Amino acid sequence: MAAWPKEPRLIGTKVPRLDGLAKASGKAKYPSDVRPEGTLFGVVLYSPHANATVKSIDTAAAEKMPGVKGIVVIAGQGKKLRFQGDDIAIVAAETEEQARDAVRAIKVDYEVLPHCVTESQSMDEKAPQVFDGGNVRKARAIVKGKPEEALEKADVVVEGTYSLPVITHVCLEPHGLTAQAEGSSKITAWASTQAVTVVAGELAGSFNISPADVTVLTEVMGGGFGSKFGADIWGRTAAELSKKCGGRPVKVFLDRAQEHLAAGNRPSATGHVKLGASKDGKLVAMIAETYGTGGVRGGSNFPLPYVYDLKNSSRAHAEVSVNAGGARAMRAPGHPQGCAIMEAALDDLAAKLGMDPVEIRVKNLAEVDNVRGGRQGETINRTPMYEAQLKLGAELIGWRDKYKPRGENGKGVVKRGLGVALHQWGGGGAADKQVSCTINPDGSVEIKSATQDIGTGARTILAMITAEVLGLKPTDIKSNIGNSTFPPGQSSGGSTTTPSMSPPCLAAATQARAAFFNKIAPALSTDAETLSLKDGQVWVNGEPTMSWKDACRKLGMASISETGKFADGLSSVGVGGCQFAEVEVDTETGVVRVKKIVAIQDSGLIIDKLTWESQVYGGVIGGLNYGLFEERVMDPTTGVMLNPDMELYKLAGASDIPEIIVRAYETEEMKNRGVIGVGEPPTIATAAAIANAVANAIGVRVPDWPMSPRNVLNALASKEGKA
Amino acid sequence: MKAFDYAAPTSVADALKLMEPPHTAALSGGTDLINRMKDYVSSPERVVYLKDIDALESIESSSKGVSIGAGATLAALLEHGEIKKTYPSLWKAAYEVATPQIRNMATVGGNLLQRPRCWYYRAGNGLLALKDGKSLVREGDNRFHAIFMTDGDALFVNPSSLAVPLIALGAKATILGPKGERTVPVAELYRVPKGSQERELTVQHGEILTKVVVPATHAKNASYEARHKQAHDWPLALASVALEMDGQKVGSARVVLGAVAPVPLRSEAAEKAIEGKALNHESATAAGDAAVKDAKPLSMNAYKVQLTKVAVKRALLAAVGDRYWEEG
Amino acid sequence: MAAHDLKDDAVRGHSRRDFLRGSSVAAATAVLTGQATTAIEEAKAAESEPKVLSGELKITLQVNGESRSCTVEPRSTLLDTLRHRLDVTGPKRVCDRASCGACTTIVDGVPVYSCTTLAVACQGKKIETLESFDTGPAGVPHAFHQHDGLMCGYCTPGFVTACKALLDKNPNPTLDEVRRGLDGNICRCGTYIGVLEAALAAAKAMKGA
Ligand SMILES: Cc1cc2nc3c(=O)[nH]c(=O)nc-3n(C[C@H](O)[C@H](O)[C@H](O)COP(=O)(O)OP(=O)(O)OC[C@H]3O[C@@H](n4cnc5c(N)ncnc54)[C@H](O)[C@@H]3O)c2cc1C
Ligand code: FES
Ligand code: FES
Repeated sequence: MAAWPKEPRLIGTKVPRLDGLAKASGKAKYPSDVRPEGTLFGVVLYSPHANATVKSIDTAAAEKMPGVKGIVVIAGQGKKLRFQGDDIAIVAAETEEQARDAVRAIKVDYEVLPHCVTESQSMDEKAPQVFDGGNVRKARAIVKGKPEEALEKADVVVEGTYSLPVITHVCLEPHGLTAQAEGSSKITAWASTQAVTVVAGELAGSFNISPADVTVLTEVMGGGFGSKFGADIWGRTAAELSKKCGGRPVKVFLDRAQEHLAAGNRPSATGHVKLGASKDGKLVAMIAETYGTGGVRGGSNFPLPYVYDLKNSSRAHAEVSVNAGGARAMRAPGHPQGCAIMEAALDDLAAKLGMDPVEIRVKNLAEVDNVRGGRQGETINRTPMYEAQLKLGAELIGWRDKYKPRGENGKGVVKRGLGVALHQWGGGGAADKQVSCTINPDGSVEIKSATQDIGTGARTILAMITAEVLGLKPTDIKSNIGNSTFPPGQSSGGSTTTPSMSPPCLAAATQARAAFFNKIAPALSTDAETLSLKDGQVWVNGEPTMSWKDACRKLGMASISETGKFADGLSSVGVGGCQFAEVEVDTETGVVRVKKIVAIQDSGLIIDKLTWESQVYGGVIGGLNYGLFEERVMDPTTGVMLNPDMELYKLAGASDIPEIIVRAYETEEMKNRGVIGVGEPPTIATAAAIANAVANAIGVRVPDWPMSPRNVLNALASKEGKA
Repeated sequence: MKAFDYAAPTSVADALKLMEPPHTAALSGGTDLINRMKDYVSSPERVVYLKDIDALESIESSSKGVSIGAGATLAALLEHGEIKKTYPSLWKAAYEVATPQIRNMATVGGNLLQRPRCWYYRAGNGLLALKDGKSLVREGDNRFHAIFMTDGDALFVNPSSLAVPLIALGAKATILGPKGERTVPVAELYRVPKGSQERELTVQHGEILTKVVVPATHAKNASYEARHKQAHDWPLALASVALEMDGQKVGSARVVLGAVAPVPLRSEAAEKAIEGKALNHESATAAGDAAVKDAKPLSMNAYKVQLTKVAVKRALLAAVGDRYWEEG
Repeated sequence: MAAHDLKDDAVRGHSRRDFLRGSSVAAATAVLTGQATTAIEEAKAAESEPKVLSGELKITLQVNGESRSCTVEPRSTLLDTLRHRLDVTGPKRVCDRASCGACTTIVDGVPVYSCTTLAVACQGKKIETLESFDTGPAGVPHAFHQHDGLMCGYCTPGFVTACKALLDKNPNPTLDEVRRGLDGNICRCGTYIGVLEAALAAAKAMKGA
């Protein structure tokens, strides 16, 4: 059975991504760049209303418009439109300008219904009940121990309400695909997706054909963050339009506004929390009532209590429905919300106790917090890991010298503050994925799998593993992914791609090497056991004997092709991490500037250190956006989103980026665990750490994210009793 | 964007002729107009591109001041040594506008005549955003809206960062139209629309803004912008001051506020508060307080009152080289 | 495409002119009123006026040193023209509203947002997209590659182009100047650290070359 090499040459080093130069020179072709001969442009007509019924729809005038080749109505007469941005029809025309004109020529008569677009609107007693089963669905509290009793006995209790807004994914490449139907029996699609296989299945389903007759291609793609796992109605309709238009390719990609409105979001979260501890800072109980909205789709629940050990807790969550686009998984679903609320309450408690925030965290880790270790059945305790991470992080941020208790950060108008937060994540590998590895007589090596690279570096990682085994350079390997017809590959989500794909890749390369040795050993007049591969050479008994290329020639006409399967023990699940933030808050303007973030993350055996670090940086920056800037703003009266853009929907630019220090917590024990993904964990704790640093700086909790001048000034005013 | 006819004259005279038909819009950098057209907020039937007219682009300084062509880009303005030296309030305001690419495209004329960014207006609810007689702004999310003159229906804020220092510096705008040329103080480019048939701009159909002239000055002048993001973002409050000093004291002052009212707003209260005083933290703070005396914030933007106060105080202190907030 | 005419500017001084499309209203009016001679005189006078373009137009653009012809409308943006008509797909369409920088293109030496630039206005101008940049070790793309200044890579063309333009103008930028020079671009994957490193490395490499 394949095992990770004890002394790897490549694994763990920094290897620039294989497709990096193509991307950086504009030559990489994204699905939205592809324009096969004869392509028609599809434009979506979507609902301008938050809640309405289509009384009638008339496409006659639009059909006759110049360039129009086909229209598919998605929401016909009588159909409900449940949010602004809900799909009504798609027009395909020779040019995009023509398709847009035609969309505006479709006549829709709406019966406009009452709507609720914000949580408070929907929760109001007098609110129109716009959802089957009610606007608000309260789940029964999950109770552990005796929280009420324990709180009574607690030495200190803090009580607070914390809230985080809905944010949207803002993938830079919009959702969509270009579909080309060959009659009713075959489809090719160039899709911007995190899961070529799922898209293929969906398109096959809508055409009633086998997934094998669908080819979904995703050579590269422009970001998904959890929102791009299917063909969606847009992709399925593009395929239908292509069929309708005699097989001409039809390209449907959303405009930016609809991206915000309909292509997913991270649910909001509000928590009313009571947290109690004994004098020495040991948590005794938590009672939390929380709610959030996932729009029309639900899914706003999140983990709470989070990370820390609580013997007594009660948690009741209410799902609030609003007339807004449905939530989709977004980078560590639920965790950033749970982390922010837990860590804020914990910090407020520490402040009340006059305790150091790092100390109170260490004190409240569970004695035993087991996650999977290296071998099957083996576990390791995460608690000492957290302790070590906190120690390292505190050193790197300069905690000992810089930390001052809350509100004691100087007399000037600009206050500095430090904050910290912990997080955890699962991940893990799926057991049914495969990779094929082919060694050709010309010396070329190709690996194939129906996974895709969404920017994580998956393509490069697979090449590195293969090159490691075959003694070649990563650039010698053709890493062929992003094609649904290849051996079944993992969707890119949940930080599962690398742990799912690395084991079968290692297996494929190892099997191929064995087959290769068996094939060429006779030509080298030796036994396969004497052979090894290094530096592009075949070695016999530890002596370089023949170049890789020459050896491959000995294969004659036949390539070697092996398919590797997932094997246990090469990847693992369950990570933790901590982040520290240093901020400056201008107390006159409420402007927060993050000066430095330290992110300590474990993630098992790291394959490509360069892309690994990039992902951690990216996670931190995503968390910084969540902490400082992002917020979907809905208008209660008209029911529309007021900032469906990239201007008033605020995202950090280069000048907003602080110094970021990233460290892998990568002990031998960690390496033995095998591969674990890192896409999600490092984005969890950032917004929490920033908010804690802000509270530390200005002496008062800013209970509402983002840390905007408005929210900060409001908190300062309430401290002065001017609220 | 609706289809339109397009012409690109190379002389102002040709441009004026082309501008005659109704529903014609002048196009300069396009960073405002094209966005509005894509959102169907404005749908001109003819677009007259002014950037091929070299005559509109020049920036010239003389003993009388500096004349800035309406077609000069913000990038060109920023590269002009004289502007940086004599009119730091203007330079700084331009420096903080938007992004490098926008500053390369956007013109001074377009900046002054850009339409409000009120999100209700941009979502197609009309400039005043009234629905069934009620103000969507008043009832809705007004975090970025006006805190002054809020008794009326115009609750958007004037978006031009350049107008603020230009008014403080006493600049005049020259407008050419079918009836000839007129020159007005920059402040008079704007008005508070009284009904939904009125625009917030006084420039009439068929007219072209050709230049602004900033008079020569010895006034100490500075601007301060409070904003959320460091990278491109709109001001939440902006103040520009121009101070004629009388020895150690402020002789006469001009204080203009941006992003807080439907027009760039001169604050006579702040001016009075600082005139005759030595400029220090105390007097600057008092002037900031005076500036917001008449503020009447809406439901969600009381924080802008604080920002306006601070912007005035900081602009005043910056004019005499005190940037205390940068020292921590 | 949030539908329909909800959004037309309420402020219009005049009634709509639906069927008259010409360079001179006077001439067209004259035709309608039957005063043909006046119309012809007016039309002659109008000859010196610049042409009013309308409907489908054949234009030629200088893209990356090549003359490229295609059919557009006056409303076609430079970005859509490059991408949808000329298959120059380096510049990306992301916000389509002058806020994100993904479409950054260099026109006559200056980086602009091509999503907010009309293609007709670019005739006769020198248009450069990143496909024309040096991909060797002294170029900006190489630095982005080596420093992993990209993840999904969809913002990358815009950053690379803005960076190239910045370095052409200021070959020795400080870190803060780099930040400010790239403030017109947004990355959602969060690659800024690699981007900033790449920009500084490219500055060095360009000088070394
Ligand atoms: C992300 C972003 C951030 C921004 N931040 C700021 C900011 O902080 N501060 C700020 O001030 N602005 C900001 N802006 C707006 C930007 O500065 C303006 O869009 C720009 O200055 C307009 O200039 P332009 O030449 O592109 O105008 P255009 O879009 O070409 O024209 C604007 C308007 O003026 C009219 N017009 C143009 N020139 C003339 C003329 N010579 N005569 C008569 N009418 C004319 C046009 O018909 C149109 O109605 C921002 C924009 C964006 C996209
Ligand atoms: S696409 Fe042009 S700036 Fe975003
Ligand atoms: S690399 Fe994906 S958006 Fe920048």
